[in-house]
Amino acid sequence: MNQIERFFRRYILSTAGILILFFFVNVLLLIAFLTMTDLYNNTNSKAFSIEEFAEHLSYENGTWNADAQAMDMLESKNAWAMILDDSGQVIWEECLPEDLPRSYTVSDVAVFSKWYLDDHPVRVWTIDGGLLVTGFPPGTLVKQNFSLDISYVWVLLFSTAAVFFINLFLMLYLFLRNARRVEKAMKPILNGIRDLSAGKPVGLPENGELAEINASLNHAGKYMLEKDNTRAEWIRGISHDIRTPLSMILGYASEIEDTEDLPSQVRHQAGIIRKQSEKLKQMVADLNLTTRLEYSMQPLHPEQIDPVELARQVITDYLNSRQTDGFSFGFSEDNTGDNFFLTGDRTLLVRMLGNLIQNSITHNPEGCHIEISVGVQKERNTKKFDARCVVFTVSDDGKGMDETQMGRLNRPEKSGSIASDTREHGLGLKIVRQITEAHHGSIYYSAADPHGLTVTVTLPCQAK
Amino acid sequence: MSQLNPTTLLHKKILIADDETDLLEMLCSVFFRAGYTDVLTASSGEETLKLWREEHPDLIILDVMMPRTDGFTVLKEIRRTSRVPVLMLTARGEAEDRFTGFENGADDYLIKPFLPKELLFRVQALLKRAYPEPERKVYLAASMVDLEKAEVWKDGECTGLTAKELQLFEKLYENAGRIVTTGTLCSAICGEFWQGYESTLSTHIRHLREKIEENPSKPVSLITVKGLGYRLFTEEDGK
Repeated sequence: MNQIERFFRRYILSTAGILILFFFVNVLLLIAFLTMTDLYNNTNSKAFSIEEFAEHLSYENGTWNADAQAMDMLESKNAWAMILDDSGQVIWEECLPEDLPRSYTVSDVAVFSKWYLDDHPVRVWTIDGGLLVTGFPPGTLVKQNFSLDISYVWVLLFSTAAVFFINLFLMLYLFLRNARRVEKAMKPILNGIRDLSAGKPVGLPENGELAEINASLNHAGKYMLEKDNTRAEWIRGISHDIRTPLSMILGYASEIEDTEDLPSQVRHQAGIIRKQSEKLKQMVADLNLTTRLEYSMQPLHPEQIDPVELARQVITDYLNSRQTDGFSFGFSEDNTGDNFFLTGDRTLLVRMLGNLIQNSITHNPEGCHIEISVGVQKERNTKKFDARCVVFTVSDDGKGMDETQMGRLNRPEKSGSIASDTREHGLGLKIVRQITEAHHGSIYYSAADPHGLTVTVTLPCQAK
Repeated sequence: MSQLNPTTLLHKKILIADDETDLLEMLCSVFFRAGYTDVLTASSGEETLKLWREEHPDLIILDVMMPRTDGFTVLKEIRRTSRVPVLMLTARGEAEDRFTGFENGADDYLIKPFLPKELLFRVQALLKRAYPEPERKVYLAASMVDLEKAEVWKDGECTGLTAKELQLFEKLYENAGRIVTTGTLCSAICGEFWQGYESTLSTHIRHLREKIEENPSKPVSLITVKGLGYRLFTEEDGK
């Protein structure tokens, strides 16, 4: 999962978390509200309970009496009370409005016990020998009466839960869909920006709501590519144009250096011109190659290569064709008998090893021993159990490299500019890194024991 | 340099084609100083073809980028009827250019800027290959190897070389004084698929030493370079 996908996953998860949080907060608020209401009802002194009121009534000597507390209860609510006998006659009353009847039929009782008695909301309570009725002023109580089939109650409960969860899931689904759409629209743009930063070409579809942004990115990519190509072509042109004049400088300087009739000082000076011209020649070649590798203009010509023989040829070339006074070379094969081959561009790989050897020579002018080894090991960064990689190690016992510089060279990210990692080691090590990356390998710089520099290049390989 | 060139090779006719007259002047100077006596120059493709038809040079040094008719076109035209050795000497150093040169029949490809010595060594190698000496005898510290007859003369006795030993010796002789890697020697006698042939190579080397060295266990002509390969020293090379 890349950074963009991680960002959107985190965004979706955090929003889902917010929704769940809202759900629980609302449930808690509902519970709190219900608890508060219940508490209010229980503690409110003004609440009227007909059951409690009935306890304050007494029947003595054939008449009903209400005590003082019952009277207070009625007075506080501006209520009235009456007791009906089994025939519907009022046998006791207190504060009963004059306009209300004193006799009720069974149907009257049935109606007011459910609804109202002349707009007076009433409550009824059965007591020994009759029915206690308390009434309140019109508009002070709301009475609702309903009955439900038990199966309907279950359906109702289930439906309520279903509606709630359907809403929740619908909301989640719509949110995820929208987030996905945004991700889908944004992903190419973000990938385009990433490609731009890596100097790669950008080709986004110029349609849809974000077509303008895509078109701008395409334009920026094209512009950068054109600029890079122009720069690469310019370097290529310069390096090409300089070759013929440099050939003449090299040629004449060599001629003068080799002419025995000339004074030794003149020959010595010609030798300096020749050496500096050779350096210039190498710089031109390096600049051209690094530019081509930087802008992916150097096509690889892959072939199967024996890594041991490759290393042998590079060392042999050094010993055969260069002055190596003060330098000694050692070569070892770590896995003698193991037959593996690399698939790569021979010219570039020769250049890579040559540059590493040249680096040791250049930075140890007083001389040193250079040891080159080739081995095979299991590849760590792969799931293939039989994946192997070839390890080239170029080690010297010279003065080595300071840790800051080593850290800079070991940084995995691409520098993106020629200047950034060529401050002290020229283009040589940059080219080594570029060639290693072009072959999907890795490079690591470390201090040699007891002193010196060890460079380890790891490249994928296959069994023969 | 001249002592490395057999006299016969120094008399070979060399045609150098480049549109840079200053470079032509320098190259002429280099070749004359090296002992070559017959050097022609051409500054265009047309002139090169004209001189090639009229003068029949033994070797051509050809630039690629010349006005009107470029070097590759000239080379194609030459290759229609001739196998004359051609060395491409050009500022075009990309791999594709080199491949184009070899595809069109170039025998060697040298990229500018170059050291005059390198050019002379390459020309010498091309001439040696194209015009082999009728008598090819190699003098070593303890023996003489006749490459034509595949024979070794040591202490007045003649021993024959096997085909593999001869191939091996020729490869070492081509690079006399230089280290030749194990892989190069193996591929010289076994071809492209030489892997696993290293131990057999050691056997051939041992047999060769028995034939050419005074004391094969202490070789002085055919030296092992540990881990890398072998090096042949002839009497010409000295030590």
